[in-house]
Amino acid sequence: MSSLKLVRGVRKLLTDAVEHGSRAVETIQLETAKRPFTVLEAISPIAVPAKTVHVFHDAVVNATHASIRGVNGVVGVALDAAIDLAEKAKPE
Amino acid sequence: MSEDAPRTSKLSFALGIVNGLIGDHLARTDNELAFDMAVMSKGVRVPLDTESLRALHPDATSRVCVLLHGLMNTEEAFFSGDCEDYGARMQRDFGITPYYVRYNSGLPIPQNGAAFARLLTDLVAAHPVPVTEVLLVGYSMGGLVARSACHIAAEESLAWLPLVRRAIYVGTPHRGAPMERAGRVLTRLLAAIPDPYTHLIADIANLRSDGIKDLGDADVTDKDRARRLPRFSLRDEKHPVALLPQVEHFLVCASVSEDPQLAMWFGDVMVPVHSGSFDTITEKAHLALPQDNVKYLPGLSHVALPCHDRVWETIREFLGRPLPETETP
Repeated sequence: MSSLKLVRGVRKLLTDAVEHGSRAVETIQLETAKRPFTVLEAISPIAVPAKTVHVFHDAVVNATHASIRGVNGVVGVALDAAIDLAEKAKPE
Repeated sequence: MSEDAPRTSKLSFALGIVNGLIGDHLARTDNELAFDMAVMSKGVRVPLDTESLRALHPDATSRVCVLLHGLMNTEEAFFSGDCEDYGARMQRDFGITPYYVRYNSGLPIPQNGAAFARLLTDLVAAHPVPVTEVLLVGYSMGGLVARSACHIAAEESLAWLPLVRRAIYVGTPHRGAPMERAGRVLTRLLAAIPDPYTHLIADIANLRSDGIKDLGDADVTDKDRARRLPRFSLRDEKHPVALLPQVEHFLVCASVSEDPQLAMWFGDVMVPVHSGSFDTITEKAHLALPQDNVKYLPGLSHVALPCHDRVWETIREFLGRPLPETETP
């Protein structure tokens, strides 16, 4: 296996790990926060603000992880481009 | 590559582990780290054409041996011990030409079996001299891959199957691997608990490859895999898939402990004795396999089996016997 092929494989594996890891952590954060919010939303006087905070919290979590995955994807594309260049520059 | 090039490398070792752990994911995502099934020599892929095979074996004989490694290994596992590898010994003592195959051990066993069946078709066609015998040697999962290929060859009447007169299995879990079955039950229990953290642990555990999951019940055919249902039982009662009757099978199993009870339960750490011996060394003994064709080696661990003098001694004794009388191909 050539070195560049190996680097490309490792690159894919790392970006896959970040992608799946981010999704797993996102799910954990949303599910964990859901429990206290469910309790708070059941209490009439604070139900509406609790629901608002819950929606805002989930949106922030989603946006944070979406940005992590976005940057991960961009880094992956940039690394692929760099590997392509290195392959072209490699003497036959 | 030079003659004195190292037969093992840390990179191959690491890639073998990665392939075994998540090789199905690597293959699905077209990752360059995924192994394709290939005949290998000193870490280099050998093209399956007559010229390349003649260059590899200038003194090729009509008797061919194909060695398959186990889970999370590469063919380098056969060179990992201090002893001379089995293939070289077969060549020297019995005039059998050895080929070492590398494959992605994270793929489903039937998928590797199908690929191995195709590889054998090409290998027999490209071998420099007409082949009169194909000897299959499978270490651990490699034995199940060989069996899977033979079942496919029997179903599809592939030309090489009649050439397979004998097969040797070293530490092969014919009746499955209890550690995987226990892991399967544990992950199902964790997934059933309504908690995000236990779900996460179950999800991470379920990332293990299809190859590992197939080892649980020794699924050698697609029918076995399709039968795998979400349940908590520790044993698939529809197993085992029978060994092909037209082939003489030779089983080598081991145990770390010499205590009979511990040996039966824990075997060589990875494969219990009853599984490695296809239940021949149990009170059930439901398989009509001659006791002479099952060798039990106490005091050996699973990782020692692909390259060990004691294992070779049993293989040599088996190969020294006259060939079974079957229809000539």
